[in-house]
Parts: sequence; structure tokens; C-alpha cells
Amino acid sequence: MAEIELRNIAKSYGDVEVLRDVNLTFDDGEFVVLVGPSGCGKSTLLRMIAGLESITGGEIAIGGAVVNDRPPRDRDIAMVFQSYALYPHMNVARNMGFSLEIRKEDKALIRERVALAARTLGLSDLLERLPKELSGGQRQRVAMGRAIVRDPEAFLFDEPLSNLDAALRVEMRIEIARLHQELQATMVYVTHDQVEALTLADRIVVMNRGRIEQVGTPLELYESPANLFVATFIGSPKMNVVDCTADERGVHLPGGGIFCPEAWSPDFRPARLGVRPEHIDLTAGGQGDCCGWAEVVERLGSDTFVYVNVDDWGGMVARQSGNAPINPGDRVGLHFDPAQARLFDNAGTALYASETNRA
Amino acid sequence: MERQVTAAAGRAAPGTPQRTSRGRRLTLLKVAAEPYLYLSPALILLSLVMFVPLVIGIGYAFQKLSLTDPFDRGWAGLDNFRTLAGDRHFWRALTNTLWWTMGSLFFQFFLGLGLALLLNRRFAGRRLVQALVFLPWAVPTFLSGLTWAWLFNPLIGPLPHWMAALGILSEPYNILADPDIAMWGPIAANVWFGIPFFAITLLAALQSIPKELYEAAAMDGATAWQMFTKITLSFLAPMIAITVLLRTIWIANFADLIFVMTGGGPANSTQIVASYIFTTAFRRLDFGYASAIAIVLLALLLAYALVLLSMRARLVRV
Repeated sequence: MAEIELRNIAKSYGDVEVLRDVNLTFDDGEFVVLVGPSGCGKSTLLRMIAGLESITGGEIAIGGAVVNDRPPRDRDIAMVFQSYALYPHMNVARNMGFSLEIRKEDKALIRERVALAARTLGLSDLLERLPKELSGGQRQRVAMGRAIVRDPEAFLFDEPLSNLDAALRVEMRIEIARLHQELQATMVYVTHDQVEALTLADRIVVMNRGRIEQVGTPLELYESPANLFVATFIGSPKMNVVDCTADERGVHLPGGGIFCPEAWSPDFRPARLGVRPEHIDLTAGGQGDCCGWAEVVERLGSDTFVYVNVDDWGGMVARQSGNAPINPGDRVGLHFDPAQARLFDNAGTALYASETNRA
Repeated sequence: MERQVTAAAGRAAPGTPQRTSRGRRLTLLKVAAEPYLYLSPALILLSLVMFVPLVIGIGYAFQKLSLTDPFDRGWAGLDNFRTLAGDRHFWRALTNTLWWTMGSLFFQFFLGLGLALLLNRRFAGRRLVQALVFLPWAVPTFLSGLTWAWLFNPLIGPLPHWMAALGILSEPYNILADPDIAMWGPIAANVWFGIPFFAITLLAALQSIPKELYEAAAMDGATAWQMFTKITLSFLAPMIAITVLLRTIWIANFADLIFVMTGGGPANSTQIVASYIFTTAFRRLDFGYASAIAIVLLALLLAYALVLLSMRARLVRV
């Protein structure tokens, strides 16, 4: 196992710059998730670590050694592909043992290592099958098995679950988390699914347009987003964002109310207020920080999502626990949690009262 | 079909048990006959143009049927085959066929594979080159044979002079006139003619190999050579088997180039079985004997095809 260091990484295709100034360190044994919208450069970054893409600028070091000019096979890294990329003409056992076969390892050793990995992944009965005879979930397991058989320095995952159905995705997510606990290996995982990111990661790297927006633990990103992009990207349903003005007393809300977040400082010049749906409390009638009409009510049993058309403002989502006694067409008052509301300046940077509050 | 069955069953239901079973049998017969009805135009056409001539041809092989001796006709039994076993020219032609086929196939295949691998890389003007590569295939055999014959002629062609300069020939003479090496003339023309076929079919197979497999292999630690042998060749194997099979049969029967370039000479040194059959049937007008030779060739090629097809069945796992 080893740590991976990225220093000033840049990547461009001709004139198109897809990555710039990427500085990251993945600690030994850490599970890091790269997350961002499609086209943000996360997969490219992963493929650069793997050695499948050339590096236009900067340095990548694995275990202290710069690997820029090393081909993939000399980097000792395993990768799980989105399409699994199983060798269709080889059975499961040979797929899993291929990396050892290539290194001309002893046949008995290969068999032993493959059997061990197969047991870990519950594939022992499928070793003789061809990939085409497996289900999607089983193929996914074989792809992971192929990676763990080698005992590499680090594991890379490129959106490994995106080809699975929802139920299987949850199952495999737990499987990957279990695998990480068992192997204690450095793992870098790319996804556009924030749920995967939040549940799996020790640390999350949020990327957008070839740049890193923020790096932090899942809760840091959720509670103290560095900017508007991270605030709206992490969390589901996403954070309600409202244009606002402010003076030294607080933020002016539509309908004339003044809202003062807990971390308020009179020097702030916020342009936007962000409140997550779960930090809005609804009351019947017209009392609260602002008021509106409930338009759509979604009842999930555990939660109720209420889509409110706020007066002079527009749509907002509020999340109430349990089965809230609110129906479409009701007049509701919205109460924002002062401890959890976030303010952003004109450039979208989050405003915090002091640096200690920030991740 | 399904609707017919249910409709018939529905009709038969209220009747007596006897009528029901007869009705069902009739329906079953209809169902069984239906696919053959649809197939019948193709089957009739195929049997008319292939099966009937084949049977007649096989029949000729066991008869005396020479137009130069029209009154001596009739059943010959295995006489033709007995003559064949002792026919020096036939054995010479069979050996020549082997050289001709294997020599042409070997170079066509390996050069074609190399060309396919080159064309599978990205480079400027790739599409144009891909189109140009197909050109020899589009040239009429007669023309290419004639052109190659001229190329080998020291009076007008450069090849003998080049070969002499390289030390392959002692002096610039026409190799088509030398019984020992004349066969290499048509083989060279055939290689030039046949490379595009292999290049294009193998290129199509190469392009169907998913790119991620090479990336996965790179991550697994494979060298370029290991990727070629363990992925590329595994994927190409079924295609290689089928193209080699087809080409072997075609080349073995492909006497056009030889006919144009050497006419089977000098001294039968470039006569192959196919051209020998042609000569026997249409020059010596001995159809019985020609048919016997044709049947031996057919049997040899069939045996070869069976071996290759069974090999292919083992190779195809994807």
C-alpha cells in the first residue's frame, strides 16, 4: 500500500484544458472519492493516476516515486472499469488470475490467490464460467476480484456501480465499503453519485470544470461547504438558494422579514442565502421567516418533502420528518434554522464568521 | 403459426374425441411443413444449380466420356481413378497446388495481418489509405496477371534487373521461364492480389475489439506482445480460421493467374490441379477423367474444411 501524491497536475487536449492546478494527497489506506458533474475531469484524473492518460503538466508520485513516465504496468495499481472490461474469452478464474499469469507466477499460487479472492467475493461457484454467463452484479464482483488478486499499491474505481440497478448498487456499495475495511488499501473512487461519495469516502474531492472545489470529509462538505457549487452539489434534495440583500441587522427576506443566521457578522455582504430542505421547519398558517403555499407534497413514510411556492420568491423544498400534517394548497410558514443557514457572497464563496468555523 | 394452432384447437374442442385427434394431427403436419414451404424457392434454386450438376459430375467420373473418342462410351467403374493414381502429371499438379496454395496463403495472411495492424493505428489520411489498400482486389485478374507477367519479363519489366542486383538471380532473366522457380511468379502476383482481402477482414475484426480490454490488460501488467497474443489474437482467431479456410479453397481453385502468366508451363511446372482439370476437360475433351480429378480435389478440400471448422469451433468462445 502506498500514498499517492498529485502536484500541480494539468491536462489538456490540444487547446482544451480539462484539468489545472490539481494538488492532492491520498494517504496510505485512505478511501478518497472524486465526485463532480460529468465532464469535470474526474475520470481523466483517475486515468492519469493509472497511466492510461499522459500527464501534460505536474507530477504524480506513488509511494514517493514520481511515475509520470512509467507505463501502467510499472505503477502497480489495479483499476475497476465502469464497463468492467472483463476478458470475454477467458473464464472467471483466468480473468481474475490474468495479472499473475502475465507475471508468469506459479500456477498453484495463482489458483490459491484466485480461490481466496473468489471466497471473499462469493464467486467460488462461478470460477469456470465465462463473463457472458454472469449477471451484472457478478461481473462487477469479478472485476473487483481481478483487482484484489494482485494485492496492488492502490485501487482505482471508475464509476464502478453506474451500470447496475438501484438495489444492486446499494448492495455493491456496502460490499466495497467492507472490502476497504478488510484490505485497508488506498482506494480512489470516481463517481457522479453523491450518495456513493458520502457513504463510502473517508474524504471527498469535489471537482468542477477541471478544478478542485473543495476537499473534506463527507460531513465537512455537508456542513461547511466552501462555496455555492459544493453546497448545491452535496445533499439531496439540493440546498435552496435565494438571492438576498443584507444590512448590519441581518438578511432581508421576501415579505419584509429579517433573518439573522447564528454565524452572522455585520461585515458580511452576502448575495445569496442557502438553506437545506431539512433545515426548514414548516408550520400551518402564515407565521415564520417567510410564508407561502404548499404546492406538492411527497410522502415517503420516513420523510415528507413539501414544495412550497414562497410569496415574492419562488419554489423551495422543505423536508419534514415522518408524515407531516400538510396538504397541497395549505398556507404554510417557513422557519429557517439559524445554525444551519449558509451565506454566500457575489462570487459564490461561502461566508463564515471566523476561519475556525471552516473546514 | 401460433394463431393457426389456437384457432384449430378452438374449432376442434366441441367435436368428438376422434375428430379432435385427427384435426390436431393435421394441424401438426401443417406446422411442420410450413418452414419448408417458405424455404422451398431457395432450396429448389440451390438444388438446380448446385446439387444436380454435382451429382451429374460425380456420375461422369465413373464413365468413359471423351469427346475425342465419342463411340467408346459407357460405364468405366473405377478405371478413371486407377489411371489417376498412376498419372505422373496429376501428382505433379497436386504438389504444385500445395506449393501454390500454401505459398500464396502464407504471405497473404502475414502481410495482410501486418497491414491490418498498421491500418488500425491512428494516422493522418487513414481513410484514404484504407480505401487505396483495397485497390488490387478491384483489378481484374486477367489484367493483374498480364501486368505481373510483363514485370517479370527482363525486356520490359524491372523486376529481373532488381533481383539480379540484389543477388537473388545470377543474371536478369525471366523466372517464369525457369521450371524450378516459375511457380513463384504467379505466387507473387497472387500475394499482391490477396493481401487486401486479409487486411480488410482482419481490420474489421480488430476494430470490434473493445478498447477497454487493452486498458485492463495494461493495468494487469501486460506488455505490448502479451496484449497481442492474449487479447488481439484470441479475438481474431475465429476470423482468422474462417478467412484462411475460405482463401485456401479459393486459391486452390484459382487457376486464372497461372493461366494468364504461364499457361501451366514451362513443362507443366506451374500446372495446378484446377488448371489440370481445365486442360483435361476443355483441351483434351476427356470429361470423365476431368470429373474424376475434380472429385479427388473436392474430397481433399472437404477434409481440409472439416479440420479447420472443428478447430474454429474450439476457438470461438466469445
